[in-house]
Amino acid sequence: MSAPTTRRIEFIAVAVIATLLIVVFPLLNSAGVISNFTLNLWGKYLCYALLAISVDLLWGYTGLLSLGQALFFSLGGYMLGMHLMRMIGDLGQYHKPIPDFLIFLGWTELPTFWKPFSSFPFAAAMVILLPGLVALVFGFLAFRSRIKGVYFSILTQALTYGGSLMFFRNDMLMGGNNGFTDYKFLLGADVRDASTQRALFIATAVTLVLVYLGCSWLSRTKLGLIQRAIRDGENRVLFSGYAAAGFKLFIFVLAALIASVGGALYVPQVGIINPSEMTPDKSLEAVVWVAVGGRGTLVGPVVGAIVVNALKSWATRAYPDLWLFFLGGMFVIVVLFLPGGIVSIPDRIKMWWARRADANAATSAPVAP
Amino acid sequence: MNFFNRTVRLLAFAALTLGFVAHAADSARAIIAKAALAEPPAQRIETITSLLGSGDESIAGLLAAWKEDALFVYTAPDGSKIPVQLFGDKDDQDSQTATRVDSGKPILSSAGKSLRLVASELTAVEHTSALRRAMKAVLDLLDLSTPDLKKRISAIQTLGFAQDAEKLAALQARQKIESVPSAQLALREAIALIELKDASPEVKLASLKELAALHTIGSADALKAALADAEAANHPSLAAAARLALNAVDSHLTTVNFFGTLFRGLSLGSILLVVALGLAITFGLMGVINMAHGEMIAVGAYTTYVVQNIFGTGLALSPFGFSFHIPGMNTGGWLYESYFIFALPLSFLSAALVGIAMERTVIQWLYRRPLESLLATWGVSLFLQQFFRRVFGSNNVQVSSPSYLSDNWTFHDIIFGWNRVFVIGFAGLIVLGVWLVLTRTSLGLLIRAVMQNRNMAACMGVRTERVNMLTFGLGSGLAGLAGAFLSQIGNVGPSLGQSYIVDCFMTVVVGGVGNLPGTVVSAFGIGLADQSLQQILLNPVLGKITVLVAIILFLQWRPAGIFVTKSRSLEG
Repeated sequence: MSAPTTRRIEFIAVAVIATLLIVVFPLLNSAGVISNFTLNLWGKYLCYALLAISVDLLWGYTGLLSLGQALFFSLGGYMLGMHLMRMIGDLGQYHKPIPDFLIFLGWTELPTFWKPFSSFPFAAAMVILLPGLVALVFGFLAFRSRIKGVYFSILTQALTYGGSLMFFRNDMLMGGNNGFTDYKFLLGADVRDASTQRALFIATAVTLVLVYLGCSWLSRTKLGLIQRAIRDGENRVLFSGYAAAGFKLFIFVLAALIASVGGALYVPQVGIINPSEMTPDKSLEAVVWVAVGGRGTLVGPVVGAIVVNALKSWATRAYPDLWLFFLGGMFVIVVLFLPGGIVSIPDRIKMWWARRADANAATSAPVAP
Repeated sequence: MNFFNRTVRLLAFAALTLGFVAHAADSARAIIAKAALAEPPAQRIETITSLLGSGDESIAGLLAAWKEDALFVYTAPDGSKIPVQLFGDKDDQDSQTATRVDSGKPILSSAGKSLRLVASELTAVEHTSALRRAMKAVLDLLDLSTPDLKKRISAIQTLGFAQDAEKLAALQARQKIESVPSAQLALREAIALIELKDASPEVKLASLKELAALHTIGSADALKAALADAEAANHPSLAAAARLALNAVDSHLTTVNFFGTLFRGLSLGSILLVVALGLAITFGLMGVINMAHGEMIAVGAYTTYVVQNIFGTGLALSPFGFSFHIPGMNTGGWLYESYFIFALPLSFLSAALVGIAMERTVIQWLYRRPLESLLATWGVSLFLQQFFRRVFGSNNVQVSSPSYLSDNWTFHDIIFGWNRVFVIGFAGLIVLGVWLVLTRTSLGLLIRAVMQNRNMAACMGVRTERVNMLTFGLGSGLAGLAGAFLSQIGNVGPSLGQSYIVDCFMTVVVGGVGNLPGTVVSAFGIGLADQSLQQILLNPVLGKITVLVAIILFLQWRPAGIFVTKSRSLEG
């Protein structure tokens, strides 16, 4: 198959799936064919798919295994969560104009840094700005001193760990252990309403399609080429005169933003954000999705996020005790036996078929003397 | 009862008997019995007063009974008079079991059965107000005179902090006969604290001077109160003396905090070192990112738990629907306490075996793919955690420390927990052991050869697969040893390893990968930094976060850690 044909098939597939997600599913939901619960669940999967793409952009395309994506994901979630908490107004348990947990901690008025979050545009801007800034500073420090490979993983893990420790503290005034929950309104609409959830699902699907197309375009540009070159031989890239650190920093910040937007879409759909979403374990779980789906492709992470999470939803209910065995086992098996993930299965079968055909041809056709 | 406590008691007892030779002849019970029979009553007071300074446990109960008219004189059939106490439920004739005051044993009738007497038929021993005063003096000093040194000191301190002038006499009486230096110090503090409340400024001044000389931490609150009083009363010389005493206490406190922090930092550093040393081998030398290293620690800790239960009453487990019971040896005393000695090698072995099994099944395929070894071992770690949960339950299990690890020393108000002292010593031993293995044995030579250049070593005929396996086993075994120690310091639960894994990696990375001395330096550095920051910021979590940030910044300055392993290889 020539490249343009593949491109066309890919384009058609994306168009079909995008229509399904953005138009058909919500329509079926409003018609009552798909239950609200199912749609909500799929909305969650799509947010995870965004997180998985951000992991893959770094790991699969640039060779940087970041264990900090859960941090950016939850930071995005927290930023929107703060706005959602403000929108509760005085409908909380204590019927005061500030969030309940602050009253619980003995505050009578809003801390200064909370005030601007009453405005949605500000909160939305912070979803981009705060994780972006954290990624920029950390990435600058890490790439400047040429920390790479496993050291990068360990440091990002420590960053996430530090972040979760910080958010677990009550003095942080970010809800501590319990985080934010019990949201009421978003942009004037009741968050718990089926129609609001449907709108959020559509927003997530649109974002996912846009991110997918954007990343797909990026990987075809020269920048995408350098990105993969860094993955395969960073020193050669350096010696060819490219400032690898700059490229890596750009990708790192971009990935952080994708994760953060995913997190911001996730929070109103799931209805809660707390520091346990921020632990290194969650980052690693996102890495499992990518590994299972197939890294180094853009379809892989999406497929992986949906498949693993659908499996998780089912297994945690059917076999709650065995689920972690299953997740751990899946991890080992994919790494050892299926490095290309699910999306590589068709190619593997094709290769196996071709090899068998070759072998058949070799045995059936007598070798000329 | 452990050896130390017994020695202290013996010493204290010896001290007491030296002070009161008379009591060696007559027990406290005998003296009270004698007092009950003594005539005339003045004799009684004298006899009771001779109990002053005795710490016998029977005194409190007997004297209380006496005061409540519950001490009786029984006239035996042969005419002899015996002081008795009545115990037990009354039966239908209102009679109760009678016990002799002088021995605490029941009175036996001629038939050999324990005698039952009726309270209303006996005469209660009388007591005058002078006698009650004498009893009170004895009782006041009772706690101050117990042979148990720790109890005695705490009783003295309680009296001192109460600052009750009435108790001054008792303390001073005790001061005359006290011979243990630490108790003497406590007495001086307590007396000075009480005198601080004295009306006369001279006594106050003297007590402030005494407190300044003693500079005990406990006196700080009383000194602050005294300072406020003196300022309110506009008494400059007293206020100055109080300030001086407070300063002395403060500077003492600073010293104590400094050395306390130093000690805690060292002990945390040792824990980090023990925990990270195994990782320094598997990660540093072999290049395997073993995310299941924490679970190797947990394997060691759970092994200790199982060994402890085998020495005790056994252990019932019901994993995966099966249930079985590991029989216990029901040992007690020193044999039970020695379980830890057996647990150490066993936890090393079990963790090493788990490590070797992991190396054979998973890691051996991933030596060239470090990032993927990270992922696969994380899968193994999830697997093991869930395994612990299924076998041992998701709650923490109880590992009790043997008494030789659970006590502490207090030296100049700095508390040295024996388990922490032990960890510091043990960390030193492990480092020495690992260094000897790596530099002085043929296995160490092979390990170093394979780690430097796997292919070259294979060409020279080294069985690299076997060396890899053994090295990984060694690293995992060290983690198991660390687990045995952590079981003495903190909780043992399925996620025990998770709380150490980030710290472990940090220690190894900061030290310089592939460099054991670097790991030692960084472990102590991080331990000390963590404890000092906790002391300065007064918040453990903030301290930890600051350390993480400091590490990230440190790696800016030295990206390859404290000690860099020099290599000509570009990717090295």
